[in-house]
Order: sequence, then C-alpha cells, then structure tokens
Amino acid sequence: MNFHPELKVLSDEQIHAIHQSAMKMLWNTGVLVKAKTARDLLRRAGAVVNEETMICRIPSDIVEEALKGAPSSFSVYARNPKNNIHVSTESLHYEPMIGRLNCYDYETRTTHSTTLEDVGHLVRIADFLPSYHLLHSGAIMPQIDGVPIRATHVYGYLESVRNSSKPIKATSRERIMAEDCLRMVAVIAGGEDQLKCKAYTFTTDNPVAPLHHDRDQMEGALEFAKYGLPIDVTSEPQAGATAPVTIAGLLAQQTADVTSGITIIQLANPGNPVWYGTCGSIMDMRIGRIAIGAVEMGLINVASAQIAHFYDIPCRGTASATDSKMLDFQAGYEKTLVLTMAALGGVNKIFYPGTMEGALTISKESLVTDDEIASGLYRVIEGVNVNEMTLAVDIANKVGPGGHYLGQVHTMQFIRDEHFLPMLANRQTREKWEEGGSLSMVDQAHKKVQQILAEHSADPLPAGAEAELERIVSEVEAREARKST
Amino acid sequence: MADTEQILAKMKASIEAYDSDAAVAAAKEAATAGMDLLVAVEKGFAEPIRALGEAFARMEIFLPQLILAANAMEAGMAVMEEAITAIGGELETKGVVVIGTVEGDIHDIGKTVVAAMLQSNGYQVHDLGVEVPASRFIESAKSLNADVIAMSALLSTTMLYQRDVIELLNNKGLADKYFTIVGGAPVKQAWADEIGADGYASGACEAVKLLDQHREVWAK
Repeated sequence: MNFHPELKVLSDEQIHAIHQSAMKMLWNTGVLVKAKTARDLLRRAGAVVNEETMICRIPSDIVEEALKGAPSSFSVYARNPKNNIHVSTESLHYEPMIGRLNCYDYETRTTHSTTLEDVGHLVRIADFLPSYHLLHSGAIMPQIDGVPIRATHVYGYLESVRNSSKPIKATSRERIMAEDCLRMVAVIAGGEDQLKCKAYTFTTDNPVAPLHHDRDQMEGALEFAKYGLPIDVTSEPQAGATAPVTIAGLLAQQTADVTSGITIIQLANPGNPVWYGTCGSIMDMRIGRIAIGAVEMGLINVASAQIAHFYDIPCRGTASATDSKMLDFQAGYEKTLVLTMAALGGVNKIFYPGTMEGALTISKESLVTDDEIASGLYRVIEGVNVNEMTLAVDIANKVGPGGHYLGQVHTMQFIRDEHFLPMLANRQTREKWEEGGSLSMVDQAHKKVQQILAEHSADPLPAGAEAELERIVSEVEAREARKST
Repeated sequence: MADTEQILAKMKASIEAYDSDAAVAAAKEAATAGMDLLVAVEKGFAEPIRALGEAFARMEIFLPQLILAANAMEAGMAVMEEAITAIGGELETKGVVVIGTVEGDIHDIGKTVVAAMLQSNGYQVHDLGVEVPASRFIESAKSLNADVIAMSALLSTTMLYQRDVIELLNNKGLADKYFTIVGGAPVKQAWADEIGADGYASGACEAVKLLDQHREVWAK
C-alpha cells in the first residue's frame, strides 16, 4: 500500500463549524433564487419561500439529505472511449480553460479578441496534451470574434468537438443555450436516450456570491439535470468584496452558496452527479480587483476539498491561474504554488490551466507550460513507493561502496515510474542550452504549440455527425437572427 | 472662531474614521453654528475625502476605507444639503453623475469603486445599483438633473445594453443633454466609439480624469 501525500488546512472541528455556519446562513438569511422552477422545488421540499422577495430559507435537514443523495463517483464519457474518465473523491483531473475573451499573442506579447480559429487551435492543443482530461470549450464563451453573438454557444461547441475526442463542456448560461448545446451533445452520444445513460458532457453552474442563484444559469443547469449530466456548482466569492474578508467566513458563505445550488439540483434529479466547486479568492483591497494568483486561493482550494469530502462528493477547484500579463516569473510562481496546494489538497477537478491576466486571457503557450506542471504534480501525489523492490537493498549490496547504479537493470526498470521527465524545463549545460538558441521555457512552449498544430489532428467526427451538427448550428443562427430583427 | 475650526476638525475626523454617526453629528453642529456652510462642506468633507481618494490611487489605503469614508460623507452631506437648501443656498459640485450597472448584469463592485472615486473627487454621484434598465438610467438622469450617465458592464453579453441606453437617448432626442461614459472588464475604447458613447475609462481613477478633462463638453 502506498502512502498518498496530502495537505490539510482544516481540522474536523473546523469543517464542522464551517458547515454549521453555512446551514445557519441558509436558514436565517436564506438564498435569493430567481428561477421559479427552483423555488417550487425548494418549497415542495419544505423550504420557506417568499415569492415576492424570491428569498428561500432552507432548513439544514433538507440540504443535508440532498447532499447525501449526491454520488461520490461518476463517469464522464468521451467520443473516443479511451478518453472516458471516472471522477471520484480520490481522483485528480485537470480541466484547461479554452474560452476566454482575449487570446495571448506570443510574438507581440499583446492580446487579441479570441476567434473561432483560436478556439479550434486551443482545443486541439488540449486534445494532445496528456494531463488534460475534461475540456472547457468555445460553447461556454460569451463571445467569439467574428461569430454572431447569440449563436456563440453552438459555433463554439462544434469547433471544440471537431478538435477533440475528450469530454467537451457545454454551457448552462441560459435555458435555451443549454437546450441547443444538449441537442448537439445528443448527436455525439448517438441519441437523447444514450445521453441520458452516458454523460457525454458536463457543465458549471455559478451561484452569484453572496447567496444568489441567478435565473438564467439555474434554468440552464436544470436542463443538464434532466439528462443526469455532471454539474460543478461553483461559487466565486472574493474575500472582503462578495464574501466576508476572513477565509473562514468566505468558506462558510461559499458552502451556503454551493450546497443550496446542489440541493436544488438534487431535488430536480435525485442522484445527479455534482462537484462542490470553488473559485474563491481575495480582492486586492489596494486596487479593488480580484487576485486570482493569490496564495489564499491555495488555502481556499484545500479547505474546499476537505469540505466537499466531508459531504462525500468530489471537489472542483480553481488553480493554475495568474494575475500576470505575461508568462513570466510571477505567472510561474502563482500558477505552481496554488496548483500544488490544490493537487496535494485532494481537489478532484482543477480548472483554469492555460489562463493569465486574472483569467481574462487564454494562452496557447500557457496550456503547454501548465500541462507540464500538472503532469509533474501527478508524480508528486503518487508519493514514495516503499517496498522490497524499491528499497533495493540487494542492489545496494551488489553495487557496494564507491560504485554506481548506472549499469543496473533495476535502474532501467524503475526510471519511468519513479522519475518525472519534463519536456520543457531545460536541464542542459549552459553550452548546450546556448547551442539550442538560449530558449526560455515559454519559447520552448511556443515551439511545442507550433509542432502540435502542425502534426496533431483529433479523431475525426463520425460520418453524418458533422453534417447534423452543422445543421443545428445553422438552425440556431437563423432562429436568433429572426429574433433580433 | 475656535468653534468653527473645531467643527471643521470634527467633520474631517469623521470622514477619516469613516464614522457616519460622527459625520452626521458634526454636520448638525456646522448647520447650527452659523458658519459658512459651503466652506464647511469643502474643508470638512470634500478635502479629506479627496485626500483619501488620492491615497487610494497611490495604493496607500484599502478600498473599503474609501467606500466607508464615502458612505460617512454621504450621511453627513444629507444634513449639509438640507441646511444649505433651507437658507436658499446651492451646493457646489463639479457635476452630477448617475451611475449603474446595466440591465441583466448583477456585478456591483467595479461600479461602486468608480462611484466612490468620483465622489471623493467632488462629483455628486447617484448610484442606481445593478441591473438598471435603460429607461431608468434616463428617468433618473432627468429627475436628478444629471450631467453624466455612467454605465458599467462586466459581461460581453450585457455590455450590449450600454448601447441600448445610448440608442434610447438618441430616440428621445436627449443625446446632447448628457455626457455618456462606459466601462467594465470587456469594454474598450473601440466599443465606446462603436456605440457612440462620449467617453470610456478603464478604471476608477481614469473615470475621474475623463470627466475632469471633458468638463467643458458636459458642464451645463
């Protein structure tokens, strides 16, 4: 048995206190629930609902019962079965960011509005990189340059599913957008019935901190629940701005935000897969902006994993982000510090690799650098394998004092399992490095981006599926065009 | 005149300690002391809040200090305004701004920071809150006799509603009456130009600069 290294920042008593505080907020203050269907579900379950203010006061037993019904593990399916993944409270999967409004330009160190071509490239890069298992997509973007804005979700989904055979995320931003996307996912799944049996997509539902479930998002999320599709319910509180300034207060309020969302989803579809999600951080009070590379985000990720696991459900965290405007030392330090804490803290799905500039910007190069850090962390969480073979007493006897291990079969046998071999980090001598053009890690990442885009293509869509997806895109585009005239 | 100095010091201290109750109490003292009320507003409230705004821009104080101080000033100013109106006077401000986050957008923070900075720089600011429909921006601007309509949007989907406000102003023939400014994470100068907004600011300090620089355009 391997000992798995883990990081904890809360004691059992502290987790209990946070849970109790969240339950007090939900009962004493209540949550603002703007979707009528969601209020009806809560009322029928026994919550005190004020239709005028839309405030729902939820007794703790309803929340606790709902949390008990949420599964501790579930599968997400991909159009190539080798990319299916199994999510549990013990697994670790990375979800790189794809859709951001701005895309970083390596050559000019500036940004441009993300285009559909960028989306295709970003997804293809993420399709290639080994540590990325669940893919965010163009479907989630509020806007893609050059695409009719009300058809962004369908264009974004098609471009994404074309460029990867990994599980592709769909949007829950509005009910109609969710319906459009899910019609497309059903094509990938091989029909709506198939989609109900196998989750070929997943989504995020963002409660609006503090204590507010927006109408459009919740109605969208409930469309996903009709098919039993996994939903990460993720609050994005900023300590001092949209949550108490204290980390404990933020965690309590976040737990109220998230568990009330999960309760609504479980009432709509008992047993629906969910993640307890956090995108919590602090506001930098010197400037009034969220700090997404803050060390506190490390603490919040680890604490959130502990709280999620207390409920026996998987945790979605947010890490590998940075406030830096370029891929520099700040980016490296902020990304690695928070990501390491999240991975060691037991977060089960880590979202945001590939981002920079407070996640306003996505970078192709950063997808590559972040994959390397993420891959290294898979090695870290493996821990130290201790057994007779790895202790290698016989081999040490054989080599003896003053010898070396380079000629031992044992060495060859264990290199790959024991040592993580980075593709970008340069460990050569200065001379060799200079011969290679004195490239920085970001330069290396850029070369890798070019190589992937030149050489890698995703598994093709099944015959007929592409035409059907294109038909849906045209139909939605025409429908939205009619609406706006 | 020791009294006057004392009262001014109390007013100033109430802002620096962001103490609304103390600001109201000091304002009441000023109102009954027979002193020049416009001077009291300038020295007692405006000067310290401006100093805090500058300190925030230099990253020397925290945002909540500025917001709390602006709240304290607002409380004190309500008393001062009443007293000034009662003697037939008129409050001096750089200009009247109505500010809000546009329809469909519940993001509060950016707009609140801009409001606090404008306030600390001598503007009279009316914060309409979030999810403000186009018609409400315009009705409020009318009833408050505003100079400036400031619109915030955090989402690229909701920034479209900034255009709605400007279109509605055009349709009502009111476009020349108000100086319209836009801001928010997805908003850029190009967007402001596209929708015909009069100005764009990337942040709170920039918003103050923008209005100060274009004063001759919008001042009535």
